[in-house]
Amino acid sequence: MIKSTFSRRSVLGAGTGLALALALTACGGNVAGNSAPSDGSKFPSGPVTLTIGAAPGGSTDLIGRALAENASAGLGAPIPVVNKPGANGALATKEVGGAKADGQTLVILNASLFAITPLAVSADEAVKIEDYEVITGISQDDYVLVTNAGSGLKTMEQLTKAGKKFNFATTGVGTGSQLAQALLFKQAGIDGTDVPFDGGAPAMTALLGNQVDVATIQLAEAMPQIKAGKLNPVVVFSKERNQYLADTPTAIEAGYDVPVSQFRAVAAPKGTPEPVLEKLRAAFKTAFASEAYKAFNKQNLFTAAENDGAQVAKDWAADAAKFKELAQKYDVDLGGGK
Amino acid sequence: MDIFGPVLNGFGVVLEPTNLLYCLIGVVIGMLIGVLPGLGPAATIAILLPLTYGVEPVTAIIMLSGIFYGAQYGGTITSVLLRLPGEASSVVTVFDGYALARQGRAGTALGIAAIGSFFGGTVSIIGLTLLAPIVAGFALSFGPPEYTALAMLGILLVATVSNGSKIKSIIAASVGLLLATVGRDGFTGESRFTFGSLSLSDGLDFVPIAMGIFGLGEILYNLEERHNKVQAPAKVANVWPSRKDLKESSGAIGRGSVLGFFLGILPGGGATIASLAAYAMEKKRAKNPERFGRGAVEGVAAPETANNAAATSSFIPLLTLGIPANATMAIIFGALLIQGVTPGPQLVQDNPELFWGVVNSMYIGNILLLIMSIPLVGVFVKILRIRAAILAPITVLITLIGVYTINNSIFDIWLVIAFGVLGYLMKKFGFEPGPLVLAFVLGSLLEENLRRSLLLFGGDPAGFVTRPISGVLLLLFLLVVLLPLLQKAVKKSRANRSLNTAPHKEKEKETV
Repeated sequence: MIKSTFSRRSVLGAGTGLALALALTACGGNVAGNSAPSDGSKFPSGPVTLTIGAAPGGSTDLIGRALAENASAGLGAPIPVVNKPGANGALATKEVGGAKADGQTLVILNASLFAITPLAVSADEAVKIEDYEVITGISQDDYVLVTNAGSGLKTMEQLTKAGKKFNFATTGVGTGSQLAQALLFKQAGIDGTDVPFDGGAPAMTALLGNQVDVATIQLAEAMPQIKAGKLNPVVVFSKERNQYLADTPTAIEAGYDVPVSQFRAVAAPKGTPEPVLEKLRAAFKTAFASEAYKAFNKQNLFTAAENDGAQVAKDWAADAAKFKELAQKYDVDLGGGK
Repeated sequence: MDIFGPVLNGFGVVLEPTNLLYCLIGVVIGMLIGVLPGLGPAATIAILLPLTYGVEPVTAIIMLSGIFYGAQYGGTITSVLLRLPGEASSVVTVFDGYALARQGRAGTALGIAAIGSFFGGTVSIIGLTLLAPIVAGFALSFGPPEYTALAMLGILLVATVSNGSKIKSIIAASVGLLLATVGRDGFTGESRFTFGSLSLSDGLDFVPIAMGIFGLGEILYNLEERHNKVQAPAKVANVWPSRKDLKESSGAIGRGSVLGFFLGILPGGGATIASLAAYAMEKKRAKNPERFGRGAVEGVAAPETANNAAATSSFIPLLTLGIPANATMAIIFGALLIQGVTPGPQLVQDNPELFWGVVNSMYIGNILLLIMSIPLVGVFVKILRIRAAILAPITVLITLIGVYTINNSIFDIWLVIAFGVLGYLMKKFGFEPGPLVLAFVLGSLLEENLRRSLLLFGGDPAGFVTRPISGVLLLLFLLVVLLPLLQKAVKKSRANRSLNTAPHKEKEKETV
């Protein structure tokens, strides 16, 4: 009986939430129409929309929703989440970049969009981190190089000594998965063919079915198969060992200069007043500290990377430069056909 | 070996009142959103995900999966009544379902679809129960070369599903294939036909195209036709399918169930191919194939049975391999993770209660859907009695809002309008929209997997024939191409031989 009233009410709640989100997006996200004072005293004036440049259900979406849920109490305003998938997130990111700089419209940023995708697409399609006010870093999602357990290949040494040509599955063009493997194989002198798939799940399926020899996918996706003993983790591409896969060496430890992780951050349009950013930062800090959010990170195998916004912007710009240099040095071309 | 113990325990889990309630809530929500074009199960499940945080994992997944297969039932309703397929897997239902509706037999179409869906779903669940562990290995041997062969077979079938002139349907299919090339190339990152627009860089979405061409195009065409008074099926009788209808479609339902089950297992979402293949198979088997597209009951029964069977069997790769077969499965995957359950090869052993609880809840859910949908068909059919002047604008509104909610994108609304105009022009000049939409769906599948296969083979196309499954599929492809030619040749020689004995009869047959 209690259950039934509970669920009915929650369905209603979700319905109004949806209606609210619809109403908000219908206004183009500019909720606060009147000019906001730059001291941030009027902030937040109504709900703060968090835009996610990916479809519901993926890692970026899960992170955004977990963050919104845990930060809204601290902010004192609801944080509706709006998904606008397209162009690896560039669509949503560019749109928020052009929104009013009053802190009412935020976006989740993926580091790969700034640091890796530009290596594969034309210059006018790329986005630059300098065009955003990064509020805070969120977390780090690591890539792991896996082989089919049936192959018996478990270490980089075995891979280099195999003396064969490898087909390696990537999660798509211009992703960390593609860059990390291309760099690793070039540095290790392994002859490899880059086979892009449409995301992590199909890439993993192809590896499980022995359609390809190796693959690099996100840890959370690979973990169930690793635990079941169907996939061998060879290296992780983070700078330091991943806490959830502590026995697997990093690529750097194995002797290869390939530090590639997927970092995420939350940002506002350029020119958002500092006091507003400060309020937002405080709200996200309380969210990070909550038990529910910590449990969420653990559940999804994310590693906290809650660095200050300014540091994040600096790090990502440095990564972009480093990847560009590495790609040139090892003659890696992500847009293979050009 | 103790197989039945856990299965029976699973029933115990489902029959707990809370789980029954959530199962009911799930299928009702699913059916509702299936009726609303645009708002699909993937988006709904994502929106309702936070609701499931507070309940037991098995309860949560029972509700979410209820939404998924409930939507498959509901999706038929808009295909039949409004000619708006909400999903790729309902496109072929439009051909005969809408034709039936115009003949005043919408009730029959919906009733048959509901029964077929129930049957297909149930066959698939039984299959899931028995075959899940065995099937796991089979799904993995489907690599890019196999998908290439499957997509080629599918595109060939497209040519056979349309009724109009062959040349016109080939033209429409070619346009569909060309539309599939729009967007950022998945292999080189090069932008193709995007004209510098980021909105186009992921390519055109299926939903706006289908909604525009089928939905808006039809409405525009009807507005013109209104003066000619061809509109409006005035009376809608026999909501319950007659014994004759049931008899006619029982074969189609049986074949659709089996076909749908196997195609649904394939990662990558077999529901579309399943519905298409089931329709083509029925048309090929039929004594009078020209009835198809003009209101053949089998033309509704076969694809609806197959897509429901496929929707159910698409749980197999998720629950046994940890591989989501489509977008909705990916979200359910996420929901399981949130609940602290990792789907994968070890799920059946580690969490037998969850596995069998969810599987068995589908039996219950399908029964609930059947009970609800047959009486409700009468309610939905009443929509048809509304005057076009009222129904048309409402439909347009629902379509545009629906398409907006998928990606929160204004651009998609413009796409619907553009494709609506295209659909109107196509209909006016006698082009079938079906081949265009289906070729569009299969086109990107074909291109991606063909290029991927060639990368894997190091550029040597011989690999397609030497792999067992793709080889067999290609052989099937050849058979479908050659069979009509062979039949013709055989007929001709037989006609020549029997010319002396029964010249009249044979001649008649040939002209038919």
